[in-house]
Amino acid sequence: MSLTTTFAGRRLPLLWLAFRTGLYSVLTLGLYRFWQKTRLRRWYWSAIRPGGLPLDYVGDPFEKLLGFLIAVVILAFYIGVVNLALMFVSFSLFQGNYAAYLLSFIGVIPVWFYARYRARRYILARTRWRGLRFGLAPGAWGYAFRALLYWALTILSAGLLWPLMTFQLEKYRTNRTWFGDRRFTQGGRWLMLYRSTVWLWATLVPMVLTLIAIGMGDIVSIIVLSAATGLTAIYGLVYYRVDSLRRLTATKQFGNVTLTLNARPLRVLWITLSGNLIAGLGASIPALFMLGLFLQLQSTETLVQLGLENAPQLLRDPATWLLLALTAMSYFAIFLVWGALRHAFVTLPIWRHYAEALVIDSAEDLDQLRQRPRDETTQAEGFAEALDVGASL
Amino acid sequence: MRATATHLDGTTGAAREVELWLDAEAGAITGAGLHWPLDEIRVLPDIAGGDLLILRLRGDPLQRLILRDRAWLAHLPHAHRRAPVANRKRLAGMAVAAILSVLLIVFVLVPTMADQLAAYIPPEGEQALGEVTLTQIREAMDETGVSPIGFCTESQGRAALDKMAARLTDGAQLHTRIDLHVLDHPLVNAFALPGGQVVLFRGLIEAAETPEEVAAVLAHEIGHVVSRDPTRNALRSAGSIGVLGLLFGDFAGGAVVLFLTERLIEAQYSQKAEAAADRYAIDLMRGAGLPPEALADMFERFRKLGGEAEGFVAHFQAHPKLGDRIAAARAAGVGADRGAPLLSARDWQALQAICGGGARPQPSASATTSQ
Repeated sequence: MSLTTTFAGRRLPLLWLAFRTGLYSVLTLGLYRFWQKTRLRRWYWSAIRPGGLPLDYVGDPFEKLLGFLIAVVILAFYIGVVNLALMFVSFSLFQGNYAAYLLSFIGVIPVWFYARYRARRYILARTRWRGLRFGLAPGAWGYAFRALLYWALTILSAGLLWPLMTFQLEKYRTNRTWFGDRRFTQGGRWLMLYRSTVWLWATLVPMVLTLIAIGMGDIVSIIVLSAATGLTAIYGLVYYRVDSLRRLTATKQFGNVTLTLNARPLRVLWITLSGNLIAGLGASIPALFMLGLFLQLQSTETLVQLGLENAPQLLRDPATWLLLALTAMSYFAIFLVWGALRHAFVTLPIWRHYAEALVIDSAEDLDQLRQRPRDETTQAEGFAEALDVGASL
Repeated sequence: MRATATHLDGTTGAAREVELWLDAEAGAITGAGLHWPLDEIRVLPDIAGGDLLILRLRGDPLQRLILRDRAWLAHLPHAHRRAPVANRKRLAGMAVAAILSVLLIVFVLVPTMADQLAAYIPPEGEQALGEVTLTQIREAMDETGVSPIGFCTESQGRAALDKMAARLTDGAQLHTRIDLHVLDHPLVNAFALPGGQVVLFRGLIEAAETPEEVAAVLAHEIGHVVSRDPTRNALRSAGSIGVLGLLFGDFAGGAVVLFLTERLIEAQYSQKAEAAADRYAIDLMRGAGLPPEALADMFERFRKLGGEAEGFVAHFQAHPKLGDRIAAARAAGVGADRGAPLLSARDWQALQAICGGGARPQPSASATTSQ
């Protein structure tokens, strides 16, 4: 028995949901963002329907807030005290702040990977399908350690061992992922991912040609060929991402159940480019409006007094007040419009594409699976939220 | 009313197709061994597609009924009632604890550490810290967005300024040399930075009536340098800016950081630090044979000036007993040794034109009338 996946969501309701919740987030100084995230996830999850049954997101905004607060306490200590100490050492020993920034940045890297794993664990623990919970076994520090190791190998090998990193990290995650009382396993070998790098290697051709053109000094050829290099490189990255995911999905096992992902790299690239273009155009409307207001502010010569000390006097003028308020509003509107349009024109079509590309084969024994216990995950995704680790939702 | 639905029992992966009755009189949905009272049924919110009605029971987090028809929604009295917030006390406790510990870190731990560390930072490190901070301030104050605001370096004015600084500091014991800058900006203000950097704004030099007034401000800022107030301040902000940025997320965070950079210029030192700097300034002026009451003169006139001088006034107003300070400065002036005049008329003119402007523009009249 094969189960195909449908995607039920449409752009307009999502656009409205994303815009409305984004507005609430701005109005509550960011507090509502935990509710915004929860609501958007509920929406996306319920749109994805493998075998006709929707995913169910049961995360709670309050637990996200709590997790964020826990993370803030720990990170505030790190950023405040550790950074101050680093700053002191850096200025004392190196007469500059670059050492402090570098050390501080290096110190955050393992926490960043830790946060990504914790966020994944939280999201899986709050995701259900057919009434059963998903789960990710604890192991965030182990993940951070491996991520650092494989990143180091990738960098030292000038990128040649990138597929090794992709495979080993995916294997670490997959082998700790559960659905109900059954665990996933990642099969396959890391060498199979070299096939996914084909378009990255293909980038070498226009690159070499560009170098030759530079040698010959032909401006037109240089421009055309370097554009070709850029485009091929972008396609190479997208192709690697999609094709490696395809291969890794095909080699995952869940008892007898197997998965197939028929995602197409060109489609993903097109959605990414066109969607971001639309979002950029949409966001440029409030941006241009703000620019106009800004010029207006300058022309009324208030900017001279807008120096730093003259605020009280400036604020006595109601017209200036209005201008400032409008400027602030259009500033936030840029982010709101950009965020909402990106949901409707990038995130939704990409998720729809991946969802509709997913087929679950030999799904006969899913009925026999049992529920797994609830994973409290008190930190929720607090670190990911505080560090902004770039988890897509 | 009857309908078919998918029942998820929450204990197995089975998705059972069931025939259900909605019995309005009995007030429940029944069928296939299920009995769900209508007033305990909740509808899952934010469901995409608009084609499904997904139901759950108030006390049961696991079971689900998925209906492909939304008609029954009208019969569910508490469909959209929210579940009570679990762990409310724990949540409130954590929130308070988080806010308290952030406050503790920003207002106690970081300042205490900064105060301790400021005494141990070697001179070269302090110098570098001051240079970095000065660049940050010059970039933050630039309004054109092209380049940081520039230094004023007319050679004759510079020579006059150096003469003034030398007269003040000759007799003084300083742990660092004083590095004096004039910034080309109309603000009537001055501030000190780590590593003995003292910055005067063009506006301040232009607004002063006598060289002694400039010297008095200079002496006050040297007082801050001697007690290492700027070093403490810079270390503190290095610690606390990041914490506050963390709390407010992306685009609000940037604004907070900018705001704090501005605070560096304001340099809100403690009342104690301001009073100590004043005492030091008075001693320094006396030691150099200059009238200490110039500090009071400068301050009083700038307060009347209002407008462009508000920052300066705010800076000095960190001390609430302002009248006392003026009185102290005046009292210190009584019977003080008067040395030679600080600058010749020509030197003073050169100093006022240190930014290249030949004429001496008066502070705007509108600012004066605003008082």
